[in-house]
Amino acid sequence: MSKLWILTKQVYKQKIRSKSFIFLSFMYVAIIAVVIYWNDIANLIFKDDPIDVALVNETDVDIKTIFTSNEELNFSFPKEPIENLHKQLEENELDAVVTISELNSQLKADIATYTPLQLNAQSTINSYVEYASKIYGIQSVNLSTSDAEKILNSQPVITMTNINEHVAGKSEGEKTSGLFASYFIGIVIYFFVTTFLSMITTDVASEKGSRALEMLLVSVKPGTHFQSKINGILLVAITQFAIIIAAIVALLGLKDISSNSDASSLGMVETLIGELSITYIIYVIAFIALTVILFLIIGALFGSLVSKVEEASQVLTPAMMILLVGFYVMISGVANPDTLLIKVFSYIPLTSGMVMPMRIGATDISPIEPILSIVILIATVVLGYIFSLSFYKRSVLTYSSGGIIQKIKTVFKVTTK
Amino acid sequence: MSLKLEHVVKRYKDFTAVNDLNFSIGKGEIFGLIGQNGAGKTTTFRMILDLQEPTSGAIHWEGKPINKVNRDILGYLPEERGIFPQMKVEEQLYFFGELRGMKRSEVKKEIDFWINRFDLEEKRNNKAETLSKGNQQKVQLIASFIHKPKFLILDEPFSGLDPVNRDLLKNAILLLKEQGTTILFSSHQMDNVEELCDHLCLLKRGVSLYSGSLLDLKRQYGKTKLTIRTNVPLGQLAKMAGVKTIKQEREDIILTLIDETYAKPIFDVVSNGHYIEKFSLDYLSLDEIFKDKVGGELE
Repeated sequence: MSKLWILTKQVYKQKIRSKSFIFLSFMYVAIIAVVIYWNDIANLIFKDDPIDVALVNETDVDIKTIFTSNEELNFSFPKEPIENLHKQLEENELDAVVTISELNSQLKADIATYTPLQLNAQSTINSYVEYASKIYGIQSVNLSTSDAEKILNSQPVITMTNINEHVAGKSEGEKTSGLFASYFIGIVIYFFVTTFLSMITTDVASEKGSRALEMLLVSVKPGTHFQSKINGILLVAITQFAIIIAAIVALLGLKDISSNSDASSLGMVETLIGELSITYIIYVIAFIALTVILFLIIGALFGSLVSKVEEASQVLTPAMMILLVGFYVMISGVANPDTLLIKVFSYIPLTSGMVMPMRIGATDISPIEPILSIVILIATVVLGYIFSLSFYKRSVLTYSSGGIIQKIKTVFKVTTK
Repeated sequence: MSLKLEHVVKRYKDFTAVNDLNFSIGKGEIFGLIGQNGAGKTTTFRMILDLQEPTSGAIHWEGKPINKVNRDILGYLPEERGIFPQMKVEEQLYFFGELRGMKRSEVKKEIDFWINRFDLEEKRNNKAETLSKGNQQKVQLIASFIHKPKFLILDEPFSGLDPVNRDLLKNAILLLKEQGTTILFSSHQMDNVEELCDHLCLLKRGVSLYSGSLLDLKRQYGKTKLTIRTNVPLGQLAKMAGVKTIKQEREDIILTLIDETYAKPIFDVVSNGHYIEKFSLDYLSLDEIFKDKVGGELE
């Protein structure tokens, strides 16, 4: 077994067995489970009785067919005087009284409550009223039932043709899937990088601070040690990623088995992935891997700069800030992935992993743009690795106090001939 | 010679850590590198271990440049104690053994032997961070030579150990010597150096003040330390010819002489032809020589 592999195995085993990794993996699975089973959980914990709404119809429209009761709202159509109904409101027997009347050839709805309605219930009642208003409008112009149905059910047919043969346009479905997938990937990258950047930095700092590193470096070259840290933590990241994917698949599968509904959750995810092109998936994997590797290189380098583990957070702050900026730029892309800000950050190596997948998935960009972005990222990883390796050899046994700049100065001072 | 340092210099931008250092160590020899804090001991160790590059000069192991030597022949115990706090004792030793190219079965044999010898049997499956400082030091020490290195560097191995553990360590070092390991070590405790070393190098601010046999160093000073137990007043003794310094230590009076020829006239006065409880003429201790050399209280 090579020394690189022995060190990699040691880093991997140590991290996989650590309480923080087990806790974090458990947290991810728990969060995924809550998201997937949210409806069931909400029904179990937060299920309220339906709101009782009394409808008073002063028009000729048959509102009984429009206002149908559901799990949230229970409609009734009493014939009692309005004063009685208001009294019932005060006595909490009713939650709302909706009076439908006519005003200037338009439908008018007065919603009376004693306790203000929740936004959700308010919106649902509004949408019912809007639908009733349409029916009222149709009836008032004496349209036939079939004409009325045509108007209400009409859906435009939209087709898009791009006459530029070099650019293949995406359908709305593909763009929406791309947007959702990219949002998920951006979050994964952000959490992964935050976790593993901190893990590698503290690991190197802790070995350096405890002087265990000196014992190791007698046996292996600093470059081998540096590489083993990146390999080990990368394997831990892959393991955690596999746990997350396995948890999603298992929980969705379990939901499908236990559910009475015909709609398959796993099928929905398969459809979402099916909407994404294979090129997109390859790009995404490459961007995730390269971004994580780049941050691991930076993390190992930063770890070698500090003298003890307590100083690790001090050197981590700048990298975390860049990561946070990239994350917020990615979030802004959910609203509009075509902004200049998104375009600029999709080329910056430290943020392109979070931002470029969104442009690839949710916009019609030229094929050269992601290639260019990934080439910049690869070049940064290679140059970063070469520079970090050379610097690591000099910094890993240099102990100094002060801020990052002072530490870098000390490294150069004591290692320059 | 196993290890040879020739005109080794380590210079940083504005100061020289090691200046023109020369010494050599024979196979299976115990060599002491002594000096005050900041004398350049750790820098010298790091250069020998190829963790730092000398500015100039050459370091050879059995005729080969040290950076061309298989690193598994080296063992190193750093000055500041450090092991993996989260790893169990046995796991830690397996890791270091395997890292040094040993098979697991070979490591097991060594672990069993040393754990038993250092009385760590009960701690075998404990995490390192739960051990006492002394036990952690023992584990680190075993980790440094679990692979039976040909050349072992121990930086301050005795610091922080109680007398019982110090003896355990001393015996382990002697056993390794018997097995043919060449050992270079530093210590502030001169009695340990005196007890274990065949040869030594005395460093002061990166410059070698002496390099060679311990006995030769002592001979340079001669037998000038006279310890007597007598009723003759201190003042009278101080006035005698050849007495350089004098001090009382409990019942004993310790005199430093200009040279050993002055001892006999002092003996005649003190004994006056009668029985005398104590009259001992010795070489100076290494501690005293060290203080003298580096500018301590004898100056």
